[in-house]
Amino acid sequence: MDYGGGYSTTSYGAQGGAGGGGFMGGSQSGSQGAAGKGTYGKDTLRPVTIKQVLDAQQPHPDADFKIDEVEITQISFVGQIRNISTQTTNITYKLDDGTGTVEVKLWVDADEMNSMDTSEGTVSKPKLVENEWARVWGRLKAFNNRRHVGAHVIRPITDKMDITYHLLEATYVHLYFTKGFLNSIKQEGGTANGNQEVGYGGGGADTSMNGRSMPNVSQNARTVYKVLRESPQNNEGLHVQNIASRASMNVNEVLKAGDELLSHSMIFTTVDDNTWAILEF
Amino acid sequence: MASESTPRINAKYLDSFTNQTVRILGKVVSLRGETATIDANGSINLHLNRDAHLSLNNAVEIVGKVQPDLSIKVLQATDFGSNIDFNAVEAVVDATHRYKEIFYESND
Repeated sequence: MDYGGGYSTTSYGAQGGAGGGGFMGGSQSGSQGAAGKGTYGKDTLRPVTIKQVLDAQQPHPDADFKIDEVEITQISFVGQIRNISTQTTNITYKLDDGTGTVEVKLWVDADEMNSMDTSEGTVSKPKLVENEWARVWGRLKAFNNRRHVGAHVIRPITDKMDITYHLLEATYVHLYFTKGFLNSIKQEGGTANGNQEVGYGGGGADTSMNGRSMPNVSQNARTVYKVLRESPQNNEGLHVQNIASRASMNVNEVLKAGDELLSHSMIFTTVDDNTWAILEF
Repeated sequence: MASESTPRINAKYLDSFTNQTVRILGKVVSLRGETATIDANGSINLHLNRDAHLSLNNAVEIVGKVQPDLSIKVLQATDFGSNIDFNAVEAVVDATHRYKEIFYESND
């Protein structure tokens, strides 16, 4: 009896402990999410020029790099191979795409090297040679104030048009983040009728906000502005909740975006602090 | 960032880039030993170096220095084959100068 009682008490205590541990774990991952780490859910693969890589901002050491005020995770770019240096642990390529030069490191996987040695005859891997063009997928790294790209994959470019397409794509994405949506450009531009034109001819993007130039605001702020501009409403404007559901954003994001727009006098509050309308003048 | 860039240009931009190193993608229209002519939205004369191998009618990408007479002293030539859409190439040159912030450092 005593023994059984003791046993059950212990097991009860242990369960309590386990439950507490589980809760602790949950709260830890929650705080990580709030700190903006663990970007797996919002990983992007952004086409960039090497100049953009060199100009990328790092708010503080260990923070994610930003291009056009947007965090980058994976990047992709092209470049002409200027130099290849093979080290024991990695191969360093110097790539030049005409906008700048950057070092790209591909870590050597020892196991893979061995397996490649044995099957070298059968697998004809495309070769990376100096002065030929290559495409890189990787992550930007900073080490002792020097930037390099840790490559996941480097492949030779076989169709030279890839270079041209890549540069246009990088331009397009740059314009998307700095000047806003393709749709708003199209509507306000009136005559813009094809992706091709918008791809590089988006000069009219500046005037996409009712003839006023769009101040430098975040993508979320642009989205909110667009919703306010395009949704049917009376002179009271729209409530934050309403905007959030139309824009598929969460309320906090909308509130932040609203603060930005308010500070630029692009919107104003109507019946209460959380109901906004576009300020036209 | 003092990184050496080679802005993409074509014949239209030559006079604003004298004495600078540039990148030109054009089509080889004539070959005369040490010199050649390419078409890149207008014709451009090239002074070739020894290891430049150009093929007539192929596209070639030149990295070179614009001379005062608007010819190009070739530093490097890369054959780009015969399958190049020059409309897209022109679009890149246009984008390079219209949105230069992502392509090259300019003095103005």
